[in-house]
Amino acid sequence: MSIIFSFIREDTFWSILLFVHFLLAVGLLAAVTLQAVAVLMPARQMAGGFVDRNPMPAASYATLIAVVYVLQALMGAWIYIKYRTYVRIPMEELRRFWTVGSFEFKEHVVTMGLGLLPAYWYFWQQPASAEHAGVRRWVTIFLALCVWYSFLVGHVANDFRGVGS
Amino acid sequence: MTQTLDVGEGFSRFDSSHAKAAPTSTEQSSAKLGTFAITFGIAFPLLYTVYERLNWPLFTYHPVLGNLDFWRQSAGVGPPMFWYGWIVLAAASAFVVAGIATIVSGHWLRRATVYFCVLAVLWPAALTGLRIFIVDWATFDADFLNSVWVAAIPAFVGAAVVTYYVSARLADRLWTSWLLIVPIGGLVVLGYSLLQPWFLR
Repeated sequence: MSIIFSFIREDTFWSILLFVHFLLAVGLLAAVTLQAVAVLMPARQMAGGFVDRNPMPAASYATLIAVVYVLQALMGAWIYIKYRTYVRIPMEELRRFWTVGSFEFKEHVVTMGLGLLPAYWYFWQQPASAEHAGVRRWVTIFLALCVWYSFLVGHVANDFRGVGS
Repeated sequence: MTQTLDVGEGFSRFDSSHAKAAPTSTEQSSAKLGTFAITFGIAFPLLYTVYERLNWPLFTYHPVLGNLDFWRQSAGVGPPMFWYGWIVLAAASAFVVAGIATIVSGHWLRRATVYFCVLAVLWPAALTGLRIFIVDWATFDADFLNSVWVAAIPAFVGAAVVTYYVSARLADRLWTSWLLIVPIGGLVVLGYSLLQPWFLR
């Protein structure tokens, strides 16, 4: 880390990292939301062996979502070091207990999503299979809710002390 | 706005003569991968919740010093961070559990999943029940009952009884449902543990 800080100011480095974390979060949010919408509104079977086209190819996004989710979790874990010392302590001093509690819960939510990723990825390898259609749908929705919750709580924490705050 | 669906190809997968044929090595690998992924998805949130509640991190990170210490270490200079340690320990344990699951028969795997999920509910419930008994009901010095190992006895027996009465069909149907029941249950437990320190403060 000291090598990096000899080229760039420490505050600037963490701000860049937080901004990249935000950009990846927006991408992940968009992909997982579209996929959740796709599973909630599946293609309709029509007469003559035709189907309505889905708004997006849900299956092809699964690997991308899994990879970005892991990247985001790793990046969040890295930034969490700075959060623990530079953000959370002043939060507690200012009695922003709801913000701290929500962020603590975010750690658990992200972790639960992380544990589900192998199963989520596996279910999407055979998107046409009816065998796991129900669980595939709900795992995808659960993952989307995890990402949404993490995004919103992360945004609130960033507003307290982060990029542009 | 429409696309054709190859009906012949689509239905051939469900053809009974194909389904009853001996599974190829690719199908066996896919089934093992599925077993591994689903078991990992059930075991990881369960173990993470247990390790968090017991505060069993594999290591402790001290962000101010940049030090990594094995197992749980109290605060030195600055706050200790346990989260990484819980995740790594849960992931490693779940990896082992999922690996074992691939060599166990499907029937026993589903039974074992029911057993351990029920045990995860009954063990803390039994401990809470014992503590309530000690404080509110006991007319003698019952402090020796305040132990996780005493609570383990009714929990293990209760889980065995429940598993015995759960039919093979229900265990089969429940198996993938645990993928949602366990993380949501874990989040309820972990969220409840945050109420007092943060949300009701």
